[in-house]
Amino acid sequence: MQYMLLINEDESAYAGENGSQLMEATLAGHMKLIEELVASGREWSGNRLKDASTATTIRYKDGQGSVHDGPFAETHEELGGYYIVDAKDLDDAIEWARKIPMPGNGGVEIRPVWPEEE
Amino acid sequence: MDVRPRVIAALAAHLRDLDLAEEAYAAALEACLCLKDAPSDPPAWIFVVAKRKAIDLIRRSRSEARAYELASASQAEDDPMADILELPDPIPDERLRLIFICCHPSLAPEARVALALKTICGLPVGQIARLFLISEQSMYQRITRAKTKVREAGIPFELPARRHWGDRLGAVLLTLELLYTVAYQDSAAEYDGDLAIEADRLATMVAELCPDEPEALGLAALIALARSRENARLDTFGAMIPLSRQDTSKWDMSAIARARCLLDSAAQLGSPGPCQIMALIQLTHARRAFDIKTDWPAILKLYDALMLLRPSPVVQLNRAIAVAEVEGAASALAELQQIPKERLENARPYHVALSHLYSRMGDNQAAADALDAALLLDPPRAERLLLERRRIELS
Repeated sequence: MQYMLLINEDESAYAGENGSQLMEATLAGHMKLIEELVASGREWSGNRLKDASTATTIRYKDGQGSVHDGPFAETHEELGGYYIVDAKDLDDAIEWARKIPMPGNGGVEIRPVWPEEE
Repeated sequence: MDVRPRVIAALAAHLRDLDLAEEAYAAALEACLCLKDAPSDPPAWIFVVAKRKAIDLIRRSRSEARAYELASASQAEDDPMADILELPDPIPDERLRLIFICCHPSLAPEARVALALKTICGLPVGQIARLFLISEQSMYQRITRAKTKVREAGIPFELPARRHWGDRLGAVLLTLELLYTVAYQDSAAEYDGDLAIEADRLATMVAELCPDEPEALGLAALIALARSRENARLDTFGAMIPLSRQDTSKWDMSAIARARCLLDSAAQLGSPGPCQIMALIQLTHARRAFDIKTDWPAILKLYDALMLLRPSPVVQLNRAIAVAEVEGAASALAELQQIPKERLENARPYHVALSHLYSRMGDNQAAADALDAALLLDPPRAERLLLERRRIELS
């Protein structure tokens, strides 16, 4: 089954004093994870997203959409990237999700992808 | 003996779908009841037939691929009756494994235990709802949501790796504790002997698997102590005998000794918890067999500790009963009246305790009213006989 791992993290952690070092360490963590994914031979994909300040949201009310500045959810943690991995089951997906580097506050949401045959 | 829990657990493990296991079981049971001659081994027959019914159910509803996968797994392509005629392996006992699966940390904490009790232990939803003091409707929704998540999120049907047990052990122990509560809270008689044996068996197994978990040892001790009194809980008319009036010579001393050993080992691990304390309370009661009288001040102290570790209206209620023995009925009544009433209105032990306290204070009318309220809450036979007898004494 395919699972999407949605990375929500506090971007401000990277803006602080040691921000750039922290970012380097996080990116290195992602590179390591990607190497592992490749080595495992499974199907996967994933992307880093630009900062939430670049986000645009179309908000709908009664089906009428209007375009707004900013991300959909107004929280301290912003969607910063995602992976889609092919995992045996939820436990397997959780194991992969735990390998996503997360130096500060945040969370990784694990969602099964709707299978194609249904 | 109720075969349902064992067969459902085996089916769920085989089918990897809790709902489907229940549907297939129901279909197979119906087929079994339609037979002219009952099969020689009904559980095995139901298990085999339910596996095939499951394939039909899947074909009818959705995925052909899944049905094919199951059909080939159950090795019955050639002669559909073959494995019914010569029943194959005994039904595997999957209950403990499935309890661990229902206690997956990705399920809502309040749903894990309920799901395990419903699906694996076969308790009716209404009974589970009463254990959690919520409405049957809410409990039903909670269980349905959890089942859907197990299926849709791909929660695995394998026993998790040992390093993940810690995440689940709390819920597993709570499941077994509630199983024991159901077997014993309604005390004697209609107390379910099979359920008590099963809770004991599973708790002992968990204690053996996790000897470094003091609460697992505490729970096994708690259940052993409850079982030690099985032969002393009913009189010749089948009425329940309250603990304080039981003939201690009918208690099973070897079970009490076993519980003591378990609690000693737990104490050495140096991390007290609610199960250990509840077991210590029961062990203190058991000491009446040697000391003639019950050490109520010690029991009250243990309830104080339990209120700190796991406060609940039920603990408060039991603590009040100990208060009555140490400080008198009036203090106990004051304690009881502090419990938010809406939490306990439907709890029989609350009304029974009230009645007990009123009668000790000489208010027979109030005691009788409280007993009537308890009798309206559908007590099992043994308890009803006891309560009815008290009711006659009061009028």
